Amino acid sequence: MTEFLLVATPGLPLALAAACVLPAVRVRMLPLLALAPAPGLVAALLAVHAPPATFGAGLYRPTFALDAPGALLLGVAALLWIAAGAYAATYQRGAANPGRFAVCWLLALAGCLGVFVAADMPLLYLALALLTLGATGLVFHDETPRARRAAALYIGLALCAESLVLVAMVTLASATPDGSLLIRDAAAALPAMPGRDTTLLLLIVGFGVKAGLVPLHVWMPLAHGAAPMPASAVLSGAVVKAGIIGLLRFLPVDSAIAHAGSLLAVAGMLTALYAVAVGITQQHPKVVLAYSSVSQMGFVAAVIGAGIAHGDAAMPLLAAFYAGHHVLLKGAMFLLVGVVAATSADRLRGTLVLAAVLAVGLGGLPPTGGFIAKYAVKGPLGDGWVATAAAVSAVGTTLLMLHFVRRVQTVAATAPDARAAPGLAGPWLAMAAASLVVPWALYAMLPLGTAGDAFAPYALWAGLWPVLIGGALAIALARWGAGLPRVPDGDVVVVIDGAVRGASAATPRAVAADAVLRRWPAATLLLVGIAAALAAAITAGRG
Amino acid sequence: MPFVADLATPGGALLVLAIAVPAIGVLAAFALGSRHAARIAIAVVAAGFALAVAVAARVLADGAPLVYVLGNWRPPLGVALRADGLAAVMMLVTTVVLFFVALFARADFATPAGVRDARAPLVFWTMLLAILAALNVCFLAGDLFTLYVALELLTFAAVPLVALDGSAETLRAALRYLLFALAGSLLYLAGTALLYGAYGTLDIALLAGRARADAATTVAAALMTAGLLAKTALFPLHLWLPPAHAGAPAAASAVLSGLVVKGSYFIVLRLWLDALPAVITPAAAQFIGALGAAAIVFGSAVAIAQPRLKLMVAYSTVAQIGYLFLLFPLAVGLAHPEATAITGGMLQVASHATAKAAMFMAAGLVYAALGHDRVADLTGVARTLPITVAAFALSGIALIGLPPAGGFVAKWLLLSAALATAQWWWAVVIVVGGLLTACYVFGVLGRTLATVDPPPPRGAVTRGREAVVLGLAIVATVLGFAAFAPVDLVQVGRPPVAGVPR
Repeated sequence: MTEFLLVATPGLPLALAAACVLPAVRVRMLPLLALAPAPGLVAALLAVHAPPATFGAGLYRPTFALDAPGALLLGVAALLWIAAGAYAATYQRGAANPGRFAVCWLLALAGCLGVFVAADMPLLYLALALLTLGATGLVFHDETPRARRAAALYIGLALCAESLVLVAMVTLASATPDGSLLIRDAAAALPAMPGRDTTLLLLIVGFGVKAGLVPLHVWMPLAHGAAPMPASAVLSGAVVKAGIIGLLRFLPVDSAIAHAGSLLAVAGMLTALYAVAVGITQQHPKVVLAYSSVSQMGFVAAVIGAGIAHGDAAMPLLAAFYAGHHVLLKGAMFLLVGVVAATSADRLRGTLVLAAVLAVGLGGLPPTGGFIAKYAVKGPLGDGWVATAAAVSAVGTTLLMLHFVRRVQTVAATAPDARAAPGLAGPWLAMAAASLVVPWALYAMLPLGTAGDAFAPYALWAGLWPVLIGGALAIALARWGAGLPRVPDGDVVVVIDGAVRGASAATPRAVAADAVLRRWPAATLLLVGIAAALAAAITAGRG
Repeated sequence: MPFVADLATPGGALLVLAIAVPAIGVLAAFALGSRHAARIAIAVVAAGFALAVAVAARVLADGAPLVYVLGNWRPPLGVALRADGLAAVMMLVTTVVLFFVALFARADFATPAGVRDARAPLVFWTMLLAILAALNVCFLAGDLFTLYVALELLTFAAVPLVALDGSAETLRAALRYLLFALAGSLLYLAGTALLYGAYGTLDIALLAGRARADAATTVAAALMTAGLLAKTALFPLHLWLPPAHAGAPAAASAVLSGLVVKGSYFIVLRLWLDALPAVITPAAAQFIGALGAAAIVFGSAVAIAQPRLKLMVAYSTVAQIGYLFLLFPLAVGLAHPEATAITGGMLQVASHATAKAAMFMAAGLVYAALGHDRVADLTGVARTLPITVAAFALSGIALIGLPPAGGFVAKWLLLSAALATAQWWWAVVIVVGGLLTACYVFGVLGRTLATVDPPPPRGAVTRGREAVVLGLAIVATVLGFAAFAPVDLVQVGRPPVAGVPR
């Protein structure tokens, strides 16, 4: 049973995507999108710590399994995919190319959930590849020049990142006992393997791109800003967690790699703070949210890094818990943007109040889900500079999210009496409720800590003061923020743009060189030259 | 041990059949005319596939090569046919690709009603079978002279495919191909003469035992290799390949890029791994690997800039041929060579053969539908030809090396060999090559997926032809499941440690 669930988690979305070969199925797929993540949700509840499901008897045996951090993230990700799928059925109704949207959605879904259940390295790579292809299609979907550029940047960076991960995987596979391809064995072999630090760097940079660590975060504001609303929700909420689970699974809590943990903590905290600084200069609410995601993923990376550096064995589950809250909350916030865009300004009050509570919750306002998430990771963060930076980042997050709440009002519908369709409002409210309730439910269910301690006055005050300062700063930003420079979304993407321009300029030169090389005199000389060079190489090599 | 060919093994007659059946097919097609040629060709290719399966099963079951000694004359006097794992894999790949190409080509090379005999169909179908015969000789021949004959046969069968429409432009391209291939043949022949003079035999197994690292052998190896590289179109010796593809029909391009260049490549493999392993040095392997790396970077860069889809795919072949040569620095002349490199390289050959043939056929359908193949004007083709675009996407994914395609497993094995032998620079080349491939594949895919109203015309493209192309692309995609096989066919007949004189 659990074997079936684990395989069906990516299998059902893939099967639905394959069924889209038939045009009649393709055009009717939108309403089914909300059902596709169902096996994942059930698997998250039933298949935790079930024996791994292994198939075949050959040299490579694909293996599916679910550990506790993976199950946690899988469950909340499946929830978001369900809500966003239902939302998409309304949001994309009547839009162009419903078939293409559905196929890309299902591929991204299969990859996203597959990442959590893949227990061996080739399978994980397959899931990452599916995720990249599907997500690129979603970013591309609206076909505006912005969307095209964002899609190209996304797939380029994602493939580069996956290449680094691939090299790391191949290296790890040579270090595991009996050449095992299991991620668990790879992580166990990592601390003592030859070439450890190179492999660590490949893993941190590779998964760091997927999670949006600065300076490789540039694709996130662009992609999440350009995708259709429900797609932005899953990209920013669930898809970026592929990088997090990668870091969690491959980097063991082991004192031998404490230095890598410290590096990750520094990179994470830099990301968390930098993204806030750039985010408050942004005007479009989706881009503001995307910068908030960059910041939050930096925070999670810092939790992971600090946990490794301190040797905190409880870190993986706690980091997954924090990331899980972000899945729900950020998903809800993106769905909100679409709801606001369909509602007239004078009907928005209740929605905005709820949004503001959730927004400040991400900064740690007691007793929201964000408060308990922040409280849970205090252990791995320790009480050194990382903890201080974490408090500063909570201030920044409050500020950034309040900035978002202010900016989101600018997209409200202009038609008087406009009201969001139930198909949009329903999923948004469901996700909003989930982001408040599910973290507490998980906290009660899992061995994370006791709820009573979280309500100690000191803990409440620790959650509250960053929110108060952040709120004050947000008022200041609203009053005097107009003077801030306008940073283009994607900030340092200009560097990549320059590199791409340079490389593109090289291709005509290659074409010109090709024309020369393919002339008879050149080719004949080269033929003779290569024969001579080969003779020389054979002789020289012998000496 | 391979190539200890004293006597024929049971089942050796299969090898004779694998060569004789297509040869008889050529004669039959000539005798019965173009009206029957297509049916004959498809039947012969199917029979060839069955024979390849039989040979592979036999080789796997025996765990040793199949051998047949013609006329019971032992080498060096006689000629032996030998099928090891490498040969069996190549026979399988060849017949699978040819089968799909033949199904695809039925529409393009049908004899029109009311015509008794048409020139182009007759030439196409007979040359297709001749290529099958020549390739099987390439894979099975046990001596370097028979390989020379096979090479010539292969070239003479491939050249007419380039000029099927008979226009001045394609004739020029065909002549260009012929002349350059002839130069290559001459170098190869000169090398064999030197070897024969030095050792009195051209039998691969005997040479492997006798070859010394002296000047004559060195020159012979260099000449033969250079000649084979010219026929394989390894950068910078690719002058004939792009123009040959420019005017050739899609099916012909599929065969040319997917299979024909693999024939001469395979002989380089035989020469370096089996005939002269004691002569080839690591420096030479690094040099040939460097040519491969240059091919990848340069071919990809030119492919990205191509305005026509077909030429883009052709330059992609220039780049992908480079990939095949990365096998050498990873497998030849090392103290502890990596067996995975050879398996990876062969998987790359199979992956490229299937994926590239599918890609050329997909490009052919796009051309048939639109009446052009300007990359810039492909917008919206996915709406019109979804199956064709899906096939293009799958074959592109195989070329990039994403799972579960064979290209991914090949990449994994080659990377693993590169890192295990501490040659990280080849790992960089392998990874960068995949990324460059992604540039042109996704560039085209992005255009075809764009929305345009009204969608472009469909022309006379039938769903059946689209399905054939998708079928081959799916073969390329599921090749990765070769990794699930409990035994590695490629390694059958390889010595325990390759690259050491036997």
